[in-house]
Amino acid sequence: MREFVVPKTDTKVLGRIELAYAFKLTAHYDPPQESHTPRGTFRYQDIVGGELSGARVAASVYPDSGGQYDTVRADRVRDVDAHFMLKADNGEWLYVEHVGYRRTDGYYRAIAYVETDLKGAYEWMNNTTFVVTAKESADQREVVFYYYTAN
Amino acid sequence: MSAPSAGDESISRRSFLGGATTAGAVALSGLKLSQAAADTPPGSGNEALPPTWFEGPEPNIPQVGLRWAFSARVFFADRVMINTMDSPAGRGYTSVGGGDIWGPRLQGRILPHSGADYYKTTFTTYYMFQAADGALIFIHNRGTMRRFAAPYERGKPLEPPPAPPAKQDSVWTRFRATPVFTAPLGPHDWMNHTVFVANSVRRANPDHTVFTYYEVL
Repeated sequence: MREFVVPKTDTKVLGRIELAYAFKLTAHYDPPQESHTPRGTFRYQDIVGGELSGARVAASVYPDSGGQYDTVRADRVRDVDAHFMLKADNGEWLYVEHVGYRRTDGYYRAIAYVETDLKGAYEWMNNTTFVVTAKESADQREVVFYYYTAN
Repeated sequence: MSAPSAGDESISRRSFLGGATTAGAVALSGLKLSQAAADTPPGSGNEALPPTWFEGPEPNIPQVGLRWAFSARVFFADRVMINTMDSPAGRGYTSVGGGDIWGPRLQGRILPHSGADYYKTTFTTYYMFQAADGALIFIHNRGTMRRFAAPYERGKPLEPPPAPPAKQDSVWTRFRATPVFTAPLGPHDWMNHTVFVANSVRRANPDHTVFTYYEVL
């Protein structure tokens, strides 16, 4: 390994982030199906529907467009890996990806990445970082996701 | 690199402030530590800052908090392109030379020459942190970037960037980074189950990026 000398610069500055609430998604799932794998317990859950609502966007989950592809690790933390499609009320398509953690203490947080039509009404979501907090129902069939933009 | 004893946060903090005072002496004197912190602006040392909570327009929307965890400066070495960025096949390679890590929850360095940003449209980095206790922590960082007409002000919508050819000083670029860490079991295990979001600012001369990492509470 080559060594590296950190240059002397006056850049130990604090960069700020402001979160701004954007929308919520109430999503419905089939019951989780679990299987044992070398990486832990793989947990698949089909997304069957849902509604997204906010000041700037309204959309519906495209049924069976994906779901949760989580892994329950040895420490019981769930690595969240979600992919699904939404169809906005103007007909435009949105692709949503979640990456995050669901812990046994109820902490369910994720980062969401959204891709939309570059010439569409929801272009502002492209390359916007969303911070997500989620509440899961007791039977895990309904999850409400709250999305904040990280400005 | 001096390895602090396990669990003694004040020693590990001090060892990365780089002062002449020995770590042991400061650990015995809380007064000296607070005086050292007062000399530096918030976020430039290792002193913790209070979390900030954000809320929605209705009370039933759960609040989300951000708390400064640590910062990192990454200094770059090579810059290489495969194809060009106006092509869908464009792939950049910007290698990590090294850097430093400071803040309340992690101190250490960027492991020299341990990886790179292999970017497509925005950054996708893979490299290694080395904590003050020697632990190796893998960072996979995904970035997003957007340009706007003016910096963000709370409560105001972000305006689209001015049409080209725009003057560089009339454009505000917002970089955000969303890392996923793989840390060894032990004092850094919290990084394996915490969601992070980072402010990311590029600086020139020398070529580096300053990341401010927040825990999502």
